[in-house]
Amino acid sequence: MRKLTRWQQLGRQILLALIGLYVLIPIWITLRLAFDGALIGRPTEFRLFPKQFSFEPLLRVLDRPYQSVEFLSLLKNSLLVSFGAAILAMLLGASLAYAFARFRFPGRQAGLFLLLLMAVLPPVAFMTPLYIVLSALGIRTTLWALVIVYAAFAMPFCIWNMRAAFQAVPKEVEEAAYLDGAGYLTTFAFITLPLALPSIAVAALIAFLMAYSEFALGWLFVEKASTVTLAMSIYSIVQTGNAQPWSQLGSLTLVISAPVVIIFILFQRTLLERLTFGAASD
Amino acid sequence: MKNFSPALRLLAVLAVIALAWSLRTNTAAKLPVDYDEDDYLRAAQEYAAVFRSGDLRGLMEFNYRPEHPPLAKIIYGISLLNVPVTTLLPDRGTSASPDQFLPLPQKKAARAVAAAFGALEVALLALLNPLAGFLLAINALTGKYTSQIMLESLPAFTSLASVLAYTRYKRQAQKGWLATSAIFLGLTATSKYLYAVVGVAILADWLFATPKTLPDLKRFLRLALLWGGLALLVFLAANPYLWPNPLGRLADSLFYHAKYSTTAVEVEQNNFPFYQPFVWIFLFSVGQWHPDVFSFVLDPLIALFACLGLTRMWKRDPVYIFWLVIGMAFLLVWPTKWPQYMVVLTAPLSLSAAEAIGGFGVGIWKDWQQAHAQKVNHTLERRDGRRALPWLIPGLIFFAALTLYPLIFQFAMSLTDFNSTSIMDGLKGGVWREVWGGLTGQIKATPIDSAYQDRAVTFIGAETYLPILDYITTSGILGFNLLWTFLSVILQTGLGLGAALLLWNQRVAFRRGWQALFILPWAIPETIGAIMWFTVLSTATGWLGLAAQKYGETIPFSFLLNWERNPGATLLVLLICSLWYGFPFMMLAASAGLKLIPAEVFDAAAIDGASVWQVFRHISWPLLLPLLLPAVIVRGIFVFNQFYLFQVSQMYGNFSLTTLATLSYNIFNPAAGGFGRPAGEFAISAGLNMLTMLILVIFVVIFTRWSKAGEGLNDA
Repeated sequence: MRKLTRWQQLGRQILLALIGLYVLIPIWITLRLAFDGALIGRPTEFRLFPKQFSFEPLLRVLDRPYQSVEFLSLLKNSLLVSFGAAILAMLLGASLAYAFARFRFPGRQAGLFLLLLMAVLPPVAFMTPLYIVLSALGIRTTLWALVIVYAAFAMPFCIWNMRAAFQAVPKEVEEAAYLDGAGYLTTFAFITLPLALPSIAVAALIAFLMAYSEFALGWLFVEKASTVTLAMSIYSIVQTGNAQPWSQLGSLTLVISAPVVIIFILFQRTLLERLTFGAASD
Repeated sequence: MKNFSPALRLLAVLAVIALAWSLRTNTAAKLPVDYDEDDYLRAAQEYAAVFRSGDLRGLMEFNYRPEHPPLAKIIYGISLLNVPVTTLLPDRGTSASPDQFLPLPQKKAARAVAAAFGALEVALLALLNPLAGFLLAINALTGKYTSQIMLESLPAFTSLASVLAYTRYKRQAQKGWLATSAIFLGLTATSKYLYAVVGVAILADWLFATPKTLPDLKRFLRLALLWGGLALLVFLAANPYLWPNPLGRLADSLFYHAKYSTTAVEVEQNNFPFYQPFVWIFLFSVGQWHPDVFSFVLDPLIALFACLGLTRMWKRDPVYIFWLVIGMAFLLVWPTKWPQYMVVLTAPLSLSAAEAIGGFGVGIWKDWQQAHAQKVNHTLERRDGRRALPWLIPGLIFFAALTLYPLIFQFAMSLTDFNSTSIMDGLKGGVWREVWGGLTGQIKATPIDSAYQDRAVTFIGAETYLPILDYITTSGILGFNLLWTFLSVILQTGLGLGAALLLWNQRVAFRRGWQALFILPWAIPETIGAIMWFTVLSTATGWLGLAAQKYGETIPFSFLLNWERNPGATLLVLLICSLWYGFPFMMLAASAGLKLIPAEVFDAAAIDGASVWQVFRHISWPLLLPLLLPAVIVRGIFVFNQFYLFQVSQMYGNFSLTTLATLSYNIFNPAAGGFGRPAGEFAISAGLNMLTMLILVIFVVIFTRWSKAGEGLNDA
């Protein structure tokens, strides 16, 4: 790599700081609202820092953020639905993705095209058909329904991404395993899957995130307060307009973002190195 | 277009002219009276009286609304000679609302003349390129203003004629064509000054095309002076009002415009921002004003396609690019920004869009032929198929149930009138019953007008798509959705690539820290990100609005204040949110791509002394582009279907900008509603989803095609 002169370094730092400012402004404003104990209702004056620093809004949110539902219940629902959807999409998608990545079977092109069609459908397209299926199964208003709906929503993208991950594993490695006497399944389980795992984890993370921030489909399925997720609760708070308690809203946005942000920071290295962006040639 | 036989081409041109004429007479019959129409009809009445009296000296005396030169008004006057005389319309201010009760025969006659010149303009363009003619014919904004009693249709025609004559001269070097060009330019200026910008465009192109040697430049100067002089002579000859006092009256009319643009009440009230011409062209659909008159308004789409055809049009003839650029520059600078001024640009815009569509058409046709030329090894496929089967079966069952079945069901739904009235029947299998019966011919299709009432689902058929297509085009939502995708993806790719390039060199200080910071927006759920940004930008309660209250309205970014009321600024705010949320993904994709470029390439470039820009333009970018493409496509699909941002934005301001996915959700949602119908229109939502799918598939095909073309350019 080329050495940087002092001026080049400075110029880069200034540009990076500008982007950093852009990234930080909304986060900062949210923090300022979240920790302002003096704020009742909507903010009425311009401030960079909270007027009266306090953890009170945060504590109130951690107790009962939405109507009389407890925070822990919301969080539990959110995590259950998001992890459930991510795992389901991975489990069901992995074998399909592997087939698309490794074999040239009749109808493969058509299958890939179909996959593209699914990926471009807006989320609401899954609504009625799944409503009917899930009603028939008698689980429409449960959290399992949300798990299935979100998994269906995330699956095309996951298959697409995992296919790229499997394609990135050199074929020669698999062939070497066959020559040593390993079966297809053994090769897949002990060779290909571990090698592709980081990319698969990234796809799972994206599926998780999709489910974690979804509220629109959720509100169409859910009937009981006990099955509301965090994203659904914040949307219904925003819907109340200016009457919303702004500092609590700020706290809630922080609390919702925190788990994902922590996961992202932990996974940062993997993200930077393993994301394939479906860049497999076809 | 070259492979068309002349007969076929002629047929196409005739069809386009017929279409333009019928569309324009239709709008002329249906449109309400607009601002200024009553004024110009009064002017025409005065001229008609002059012609009837036989004493043509009156032409030198009259020119109602003298700020505009008289030719178009005189021609409207001639059109009134065959219809009954009425009393003169009253003299009213420019800001007075239009008089809806114009004498009907006179209105008809004058509008027919306008529509005729409008159709002639289309005819000229169709001779050059039939597809461009077609696009201009269906352009609703042009259709509106060239079939009303406005001053647009005559100069629109003559200015195009002037440019076409000039291009003829360029190719054949016959001075006759140059003279024709000058005559038409003079007539243009005698109808409306604004349209004379084509004269500037012609001059610019002429100078550009002239070899930069002294004899050539001298020749250019001589000819250009003759050309300009002839145009000026025609302008004076066709403008009898100027004869008694040429300089005085000319100065009056010119000064009027300068004064009008800064003082007139109606201009101030509208308070259009400087970029309003872009809003008119890309964001606005005339269908919003006249939903009953116009259907299937494609103007914003045509403008978007025009952006993609600029390079091809430049190759065809740079004069059209000069026309677009100089015209646009003038409209941006000029303080008055009425929508009818856009008619100046619609001809070159249509041409550019036609070039783009033609280019894609040829390219996709070639791809198709190539794909069919390739032979597939079927035996190999079959053997591989047996091995793939165990992998396919478990996933396939769930995949079929969870995503394939919804897709087919959506299509079936879209052919019926399934809505919240018929919900019980639909959920119990009514949709399948009707669609199966309808497609096999056992059930007769219900006409769309009598559907949507019953408690049982009824089959309508593909007819359901017509009102949906009409609505999304006429309301401008489709155009907005495409523009939105285009701009947002460009911005995201730009900033993402920029950040990746800045962080590329490992010696950049705090590299890991910056990277971690920039990924942050991606980790924040979209809903939350949107709420955060509206907390910053909302005019009433946001940080920016509060800052303006405290420090006055001159703070940085104050142009975003009250964005809720201006579609252009709203778009900007939405783009800020979307860019924030989306650029980290592109940054990751770009860094992943940059890592794959071998370092030796750059060392070689450094030894050859390439500049930073040269390295980027000729090495990084071409090598990076194929690696970025999948990410761009994924982003494009996501941004086109962007939902959470728009759904949340509705809570912070009531504006009509939205995506098809959001529209579909709100039409579907029994608790929300939209589309002029009660909520819970499941079938209409399904139709929208099907259209979305179709559009995105076309988008992906065009995009891969376009990027291939781009690669080809880089190799050359």
